[in-house]
Order: sequence, then C-alpha cells, then structure tokens
Amino acid sequence: MNYETIVIGAGLAGMLAALVRAERGERVMMLAKGHGSTHWAAGCLDLLADADDPLGAINQLVQARPAHPYALAGVAALEQALARVRGVAEAAGYPLVGNAGRNLLMPTALGALRPTAFVPATMVNGEARQLGDGRPILIAGLHELRDFFPPLIAANLRAQGYAAEGVYLELPPVERSHDFNPVVMARLFERPAFRAEIGRQLATLVRKGGYARVGLPAVLGLYNAVEVVRELQALTGALIFEIPTLPTSVPGMRLFHAFEQALTKAGARIQIGGWVLRGEGSGSHLHAVFSEAASREQRHMARRWVLATGGIMGGGLRAEHTGVISETALGLPVRTPSGRSDWFQARFLDEAGHPVFRAGIAVDAQLRPLDAADQIVYTNVAVVGSALADCDPIREGCLEGIALATGFAAGQL
Amino acid sequence: MDHIELSLTQSLDHCIKCNICTSACPVAAVTDAFPGPKYVGPQAQRFRHEGQPVPDASVDYCSGCRVCNQVCPTGVKIAELNARARAQIVAERGLPLRNWLVARAGLVGRMSCGPHAPLLNFGLRLSPARWAVEKVIGIHRKAPLPASSTYTFRAWFRKHRAPATARRQVAFFHGCATNFYEPHVGKAAIAVLEHNGFEVLLPKQQCCGLPLISNGDFKAATSAHEANVQALVSYARQGIPIVGTSTSCTLTLKEEAPEILALHSEDVQAVAAGTYDIFEFLRSLAERGELKTDFRPIERHLPYHQPCQYRAHRLGSPAMDVLSLIPGLVLEESHAECCGIAGTYGLKKEKYQIGMDVGAKLFDMVKRSGSDLALCDSETCRWQITHATGVTSKHPIEILAEAYGLEL
Repeated sequence: MNYETIVIGAGLAGMLAALVRAERGERVMMLAKGHGSTHWAAGCLDLLADADDPLGAINQLVQARPAHPYALAGVAALEQALARVRGVAEAAGYPLVGNAGRNLLMPTALGALRPTAFVPATMVNGEARQLGDGRPILIAGLHELRDFFPPLIAANLRAQGYAAEGVYLELPPVERSHDFNPVVMARLFERPAFRAEIGRQLATLVRKGGYARVGLPAVLGLYNAVEVVRELQALTGALIFEIPTLPTSVPGMRLFHAFEQALTKAGARIQIGGWVLRGEGSGSHLHAVFSEAASREQRHMARRWVLATGGIMGGGLRAEHTGVISETALGLPVRTPSGRSDWFQARFLDEAGHPVFRAGIAVDAQLRPLDAADQIVYTNVAVVGSALADCDPIREGCLEGIALATGFAAGQL
Repeated sequence: MDHIELSLTQSLDHCIKCNICTSACPVAAVTDAFPGPKYVGPQAQRFRHEGQPVPDASVDYCSGCRVCNQVCPTGVKIAELNARARAQIVAERGLPLRNWLVARAGLVGRMSCGPHAPLLNFGLRLSPARWAVEKVIGIHRKAPLPASSTYTFRAWFRKHRAPATARRQVAFFHGCATNFYEPHVGKAAIAVLEHNGFEVLLPKQQCCGLPLISNGDFKAATSAHEANVQALVSYARQGIPIVGTSTSCTLTLKEEAPEILALHSEDVQAVAAGTYDIFEFLRSLAERGELKTDFRPIERHLPYHQPCQYRAHRLGSPAMDVLSLIPGLVLEESHAECCGIAGTYGLKKEKYQIGMDVGAKLFDMVKRSGSDLALCDSETCRWQITHATGVTSKHPIEILAEAYGLEL
C-alpha cells in the first residue's frame, strides 16, 4: 500500500522518526529486518560520555564539528527528542529519569561506572553519587542467570571506594530447570509468588547486613518493572536498583515495547522481518524499495523515506575484507577511510578511536544523502542515527543521543 | 551441498549470540523442553554431521513458527536449520505412527469427508473416543480436530457456474482444509475473485506437503511437492497467478518446500514465483487500483490474528491492508507471536499444553475483545482460537465477501 513515509530500521532513531511523522497525521510504516539495537543496548540514553555536562559539551561540539550528527540535527532537536522519548516511556508506565545537563554514573555488570544521561526509574537508585553515601550496598543475583556475577560487581565497586558486598540468592521454586536468560528471568519476576520469595530472601539479608541499597540484574519484569521495584522496596525496606545485563537487554525491550505501543496508537504500521535489499529511483527521487520476502521481493512505495539502519554493528553498513564499506539498503555512497590499512590505528585502545568507526553516510543540513562530490543523491531520503558519517557513537558515548536527535529532526522535515 | 545448505552453514557464522531469537521464541517462553532457537539452531548445528548420530533431540520441540527468523537482526536461517535437523532425527529413528498420520492431511481429509462426516464428527466429539485416540495414536484428547464436511470443495466447484464476464484468469490452490473441512472459505474466495473479474481455474492438486515437512517426512513431502509442481507449472508458465487461501500452503509452494527440501528445478522456481496468498494478491490489485471497492460498510470492531506462517511470507499484513478499505471495519491486531497449534504441533499429546500456553496471550486478547468473531488467515489457527476461546473464527476472505455483499 502507499505510504507517505516509510522508515527503514527499528532502533531508537527509526522508531522516533516514525512516531513523529505518524503523530503529524501521515500514513507511516516502519520496516525493519529484525529487532532493533534496543535489544542490544542497556536501555539508557547516552548523550555524550566524556563530560559532566553533556548538553553543555554538545553545544561546544556542534561549533567545533559542523558535520557531526548533533550539529546537523541541532541541539534544539535533541532537547525536543528527549522530551518526546520520555513522554513515550512515561505513557508506558516506565519513566526515564535524568538530566541532559549532568551525566549519571551507573554501575555495569562488571561493576565499572558508566556515564549516561537518562536511565529508567528502575535503575536510578544505583547512581554512583548515591552509592557513595557510605551506607552498605548489596549486589544480589542468581546463579542460574548467566553472565551476572554479584561478587565480581561488588569487588569492583569496593575497589572504587563503594561499600558493596555480593551475594547469590536461592532460585524460588519454579517449573523451569534450565536456560535462565534475562528474558526468562524477567517473565519469572512478573509472577507475584516468585518476586515475593525473592523479596523475602532479600529482606532477611537487608535486616542482617543493614544494607541501604540492593542492586539486582535488570530482569525485574518485562511489562511492570516499576511496580516490581516498588514492591521489592516495600518488602525489603531498602532502595532497589537494576544493573544492565548482557544481551538480550530487558530494559531495551521495555523501551521497544513502549515505542511499539505509541506507534500503534499513532496509527503507524510495523513490519519486522523485511530485509531491505535495494531501492529504485529516477534522478534524485527514490520511488520504491524492495525487501526480501518468500519467493520474490516485496515492493514498498512511499513519498518520503527515512534510513535508520544503523552502522557496522547494526548492519546498515557492511565492511568487506576487500576494504570496501557499503551501505546495505539503498547502496548510498559511504564516506570511508581511503584504504583498509587506514581503518585502524596501530594501537587497539588508541584514544583517538579507529577511523573505520566514523565511516558513514554524509548528509546535508536536511539529512539528505550526499555523494563524493557533495551532490544530493535522493532529495526525499533522510539518513538518521549511526548510519551517519563523522561520528563514532559508541566511543563518543552518544549512541542514543544522535539517534534521537536525528530521528526527531527527520520527523520535522 | 545445495545453496540452501551452504547458506545455512554460512549463516551460522552470522549468529552473534545476542539471544534476540530466544527472547522472542514463544515455545522457549513456556517450556524447558525446548531450549530455544539459538541453541538448537546455529549452536547445535556445529555438532551435527552427516553420518554421525544426532546429539540432541530437543529440536523436535521447535514448532516451526519462524518467529526466530523474523526477529534475527543478522539473517540467520534458524527455522530452516531446525527443520532439516528434525528430518535427520526422523531419518535416523523413523517416523512414529502418530506423526505419519497427522502429516497426511490429504489422506485423513479424504477418508473423513463425505456423507458419513456427521457421524464421524459426532464420534470424535465423544470423550471415550478421544481418550482412545490419545492412548492408541497420541493425539491429545482435547486437541482441536476440525469437523469434516459432507461435501468437498472440488465437488461444489464442479457444479459452480462462473459468470461469463471474466477478463483474466487465476488458478486456485485450495489446500486440504478448504477441500475437506471448510469449503465455505473456498467459496468466499471464488466469489471475491469472480467479483473482481477473474475466471477461477481449479488445477489438480494434492496436499502442499507442509505437515510432512514439519513432521520430518521429507521423502513423502518431496513427492507431494513434485506432483504439485507438475500440476501447477503450466499455469505459472502462462503467467496465470496461483492463488491460495491457506497461507501455510502458499508459503510451502513459494518457499518452504523448495528451501527445506532442496528442490530447485526451473519448474519448482516457476511455481514458487507464480504463487500468491490471496490477500497478497488482492493487495497487489489494490496497489494498482484494480481492486473493486464497492464495499458495504461493516460497523464492527474485530480481533485479527496474523498467523506466524503468514508473517513468514515477510509481506507485512496484506489482510489488514485490504480489509482497512472496508468502511466502518476496525481490526485490532493480536500482536501475538503464535496461536500455539503450529499446524500439527499442538495436536500431539506431549505438546498440546505447550501449544495452549504459547497461545495464551492471543486467547486473552480475543476474549478481552468481547467480540463473538475473530479473524485469522490459517485454518489450524482458527480451530485453535475457537477451541481455546469459544469465539467463532473466520478467514478474512469471508468478511471481504460479506462486504462486497456476495451470495455464497
């Protein structure tokens, strides 16, 4: 069917762009090859890592680096985007808290502290400045949950001066006996009897150890996490906080679900499992894209397109061993280091980062893709998120920030 | 090694172990018997080698719903890996009688359809009979078995008089369910197609072979598909679209049989490329402005479940797209991964409860809607929905025929 806008990609950038356009009354579809990067990330909003005041630092960055995605989208778009995404989360009963003017420091599954600007309300009690109030902290987990080791987390927090101890809880009786990945655990936490038993064990530990705060893996329910945290706080008398786990990320899935609800409410269509293979245009106008489907391709028609397919990690860019980096959906020209030998610095942990991760699509002020001669490739395409050039989102700690700012900006065009 | 085998083997290396598939898998969500698509798919595949015994049989608990393929961000062909792994188990250990039987939808349908159907239907509603069937054969006593029809769709079609105004032709693939259990679905499809100016042709056909594939009987599935290709290829070569109302049959003709059974002849490819699910076909007409829109308003709010096998066509929601053209009709999408029946999966004694647990989200949604009617494109899913909720379920084509005001 014919859409006014088709957004390709279901990460934060694509979801926000689709939502903003659908809320303007357009017929919108979000088309994606699979579940988006939300399921891989911590479910927090990183704006800029290397700053106490990310918003202030972004204001300086947009002056110094005019091709950076933040500069293209503008700081105002970032601020509006943050307000909108917080509204989406709030409407799903899953508020995001924080401040664009001050980074929070959140413990990771290794007990390191990671700067980020907004976190779900279920995590905020673990913020480092609160952990540093001198009162004892308990990090608790379950043996059955892989890749979450409370003693390791506690030891690393202690090494940084926080009074943390680690403990394993007993798995309450359940019919399941294996494969306790984060999502299975989250479903168990939706059962009142399960979390009541966890609460009982924690209450005993809190009483004996005098813990003021308890950190748990971020598996406290898929759909009602705020309620689960509140309930555990009531049972234990301690402040509860979630610590992100390895993928699949339950907090990321909650964010995805919140957007899914908002998009459905706004009348947008979602097609997951449609891998875009190519586009078809004439001159600088993109008419159609074709997605992989059973026995033949599916053709999609729209007046306007948003490309939100991600970088190398998300699969929007593909790095070949031959030294070529290509854009996978529309075959757009990629700004890339000239040869494969220039992709990487000599040192793995070089502070300047590796040039290959700044590869991406160059765009004009309206996010339209440009070729090597700076000519617009398609006038009706906007490129958003990690597919954009001149930014290394993971190293710069701005993955969600540029996704939201550019996604929102594409919604306004 | 055929190209699918090669792509399956290579796609193992595209798995980044993110567990998105396991998180989305509706079966792993409700039972320990199935450790999840990542484990039995890309991970276990590294331990499976020709000529060596299968290391782990838990892949038999894969329902084949293909949600894993749908959500995988890196394009691993998990469902195909699982189907082939199951066939390897069957090749090694043989096919149990029960699976042999439920895989033969055409044979069972032919035997039960006819004037004696009411008696048979009555018999199968008796609990001692179902108890015996469970004990002897292994079909769960509560599992939804369809009521057989007193006449076949083909017999009706032979007497059917087509309007003389047709300008174009389509070939109709009715599948076993429409022929033996639900001729009314086929009648609605014929009425809609004829209303849109098509002459409907009825090729010779047999079971698409999907139940054989999903029970691991690749030998019988291959001969079923080859026979269908032989019967259908002339239509495909003439450019006459092959259109079906059973979304899993059309998926089998388009993709499952060629890919899973490694059948890649030019004829197979021509049939695959010429086959359409009915709403895919109608949507393409609508996109070209060729679909009639003389709809009567239907002021109803209905729950709609897109079957997992329809999502596996990777076409979005063609039925939603077309039905949205009917004034007044509002569809509420289930957003449920699967109804749990997955063809023959939920009929089996040891899997019935898993199937019911898988479908719980959908059943809740249907019941909460308060509607006395639910829509769903796949026959076994409709039977499952009605079994679990007591709500009547129809194929979306029946609503479309109603909106056109067509006499059936």
